[in-house]
Amino acid sequence: MSRIRKDPRAERATKTVAEAGRRPRLNLGRREAGPASGRPRRDPWREWAASLAGETVIGPERKRYDRSQRQMNRADAARFARARPGLDATDISPGQPALRVVDEPAFVVFAVLEAAGGRLSRFDRQVLGAARLLADAGDGGGAVVAIMPESVEGLGEAGADRVFAMPEAATPAIRAATLRGAVDELCPRHVLFAEDGDSADIARRLAASVGEPLFADVEHLTARQAVRAIRSGRAEIGLAPPRLMSIGEDRAKPYEAVPCEARPLETSAPSRLDDPAILSVEIIPGDPAKLALSETDFVVSAGNGVSDFAAFRDLAAAMKGTPGASRVVCDAGLMPRQAQVGASGTVLAADCYLALGISGAPQHLQGIAGCEHVIAVNTDLHAAMIERAGLAIVQDAQLVMPALQKLLQERET
Amino acid sequence: MKTIVLLSEANDPISGRPHLSRLEAQAIGLAANLDKTPQGLHVGPSEEGASAALGHGLSGLDVVETSVGEDPLPAIAGFLKNALNGNEPPALFLCGRRGEGGLETGIVPYLLAEALDLPILADAVAIRPGEVQGTLVVDQAMAKGARRRVTVRLPVIATVHALAPPPQPFAYGRMRRGELRRHRADMIPAAATSAESTTPVVGSHEERPHRARPKLMRTSGTSAGSHNLHVGPEPDEAARLILAYLEENGIRRYGND
Repeated sequence: MSRIRKDPRAERATKTVAEAGRRPRLNLGRREAGPASGRPRRDPWREWAASLAGETVIGPERKRYDRSQRQMNRADAARFARARPGLDATDISPGQPALRVVDEPAFVVFAVLEAAGGRLSRFDRQVLGAARLLADAGDGGGAVVAIMPESVEGLGEAGADRVFAMPEAATPAIRAATLRGAVDELCPRHVLFAEDGDSADIARRLAASVGEPLFADVEHLTARQAVRAIRSGRAEIGLAPPRLMSIGEDRAKPYEAVPCEARPLETSAPSRLDDPAILSVEIIPGDPAKLALSETDFVVSAGNGVSDFAAFRDLAAAMKGTPGASRVVCDAGLMPRQAQVGASGTVLAADCYLALGISGAPQHLQGIAGCEHVIAVNTDLHAAMIERAGLAIVQDAQLVMPALQKLLQERET
Repeated sequence: MKTIVLLSEANDPISGRPHLSRLEAQAIGLAANLDKTPQGLHVGPSEEGASAALGHGLSGLDVVETSVGEDPLPAIAGFLKNALNGNEPPALFLCGRRGEGGLETGIVPYLLAEALDLPILADAVAIRPGEVQGTLVVDQAMAKGARRRVTVRLPVIATVHALAPPPQPFAYGRMRRGELRRHRADMIPAAATSAESTTPVVGSHEERPHRARPKLMRTSGTSAGSHNLHVGPEPDEAARLILAYLEENGIRRYGND
């Protein structure tokens, strides 16, 4: 074991409080940070202290904890520290450097990201996490190169040592050709893709162009082995991680340790290529009102706190969100059953969830467990949805809805 | 416009028996909108599953018989090259985006595009002829219900996405009327391809029974904080806060831009 042994006597000595004229007493609540072993460890006490979300303002004092048992990552810890200056929650993992630098990489691993809208998606983070895993495999010393079509924030936190921005290109053929140039120049040990949309397309174009096999839709990835299913999921093949791989969704853990530096890569500027066969490209955005709840990225949802459903539907359309509802509302026949969110309805994969007048039954919270951003509007300060939300507003949803509608109309004109 | 639908050696995911892959049946539906007499091509040891394609709307099917375990790519490329050089060359080649019951890498259309030196478009859900002669308008499926409308110069290879319109129903009489042309593999000049790429592995690998592995749990990235709790704000203030939060996190952008 590399962990430093506990010394009960020394711990007792630190807990002893000497007071003049009285016999020494023990302060068992006192917790000193032990010597840093360099090994990242969670500190549940600090996390618990940091999960204190606030106290009631009116009435008898009552503490509110965020009990959703989400793991505290560094970004959250920093955010809490900013919000609550009295609490030292920054140092969640003591004894680690603030920035991880790989100066002379022994090899490089490419992570090809989609980064739609200039933001890293969950899938992008997973691809970076898989690349990080392979770069640290064996003796380590590898560098992760993030490759994406536009500049993105937060690549260092997601585990990228180097950043290579491709020229903005409309078609996958041009992106694949640019990537081919980068692969020839830097000779990466692995190139990782997301098995989704354009990334999957580019992966196959690259594999066909360099004449190497593609290990597609990897289900299980470790430093020693990559496994994928074949024959409609009846059999699988596993082998040492090959050069070209595409990772399935929710198969690799995102990176959550010390931020990397995300230094821009110095390479010869890639020349602008063009695709002679493509005459024009036009993106037609999807209509959120027609999308299924499981496919959409933004859901506007109504619960028992909403009584004017015509206004609610107008609001959902104006906010460009898909309308959803809680079980109570669907049972009452005020919204169709296919709009129901929760354990017995749809489990969402959306990025953002706006809950209007929903208190947050456990079954409902299961349905939104995967949503990154939750906004709650509710009259009850102690509702579970308020605790879960990233932005919580204690106000009547029936009053907020017309105000939102008015504000949106003002923005339109 | 002459269209050829490529039919793979697909097995039913439940029973394991040879059948016609649903994606290819959808591809036939798309081809029937462009071509009155869409043709099919199947390369493999048997046409047991692929012959059902005639019942879904193909008017003719070319079957090139190869031995079991042989790489079909040289024969496909050779056959299509012959067709492209002949009189009345095909303009559009449609395939499913992934195979079924095999190695399921979905790379054969790309290798074919490389071998024939044709452009390839992935994930088509709708296809129609362009305004200019010799062009094609293809709608590609993207995430969150978005579509990318690409105008492309013919000839082109396109792979079909599962969100394309459902296939035409199977009709036995239509299958009997369809023309099945058998060819021998050694009669077709094999085109030079990077054939080793069809297999997804280098060297030896063992095939073993599949083991289901759990996916990652989806948890939210952000937590609640007291600075984001607003007790009893004015409704206008609340509305402003909500829109500011949405725009700050890049969910939606409202306004004229």
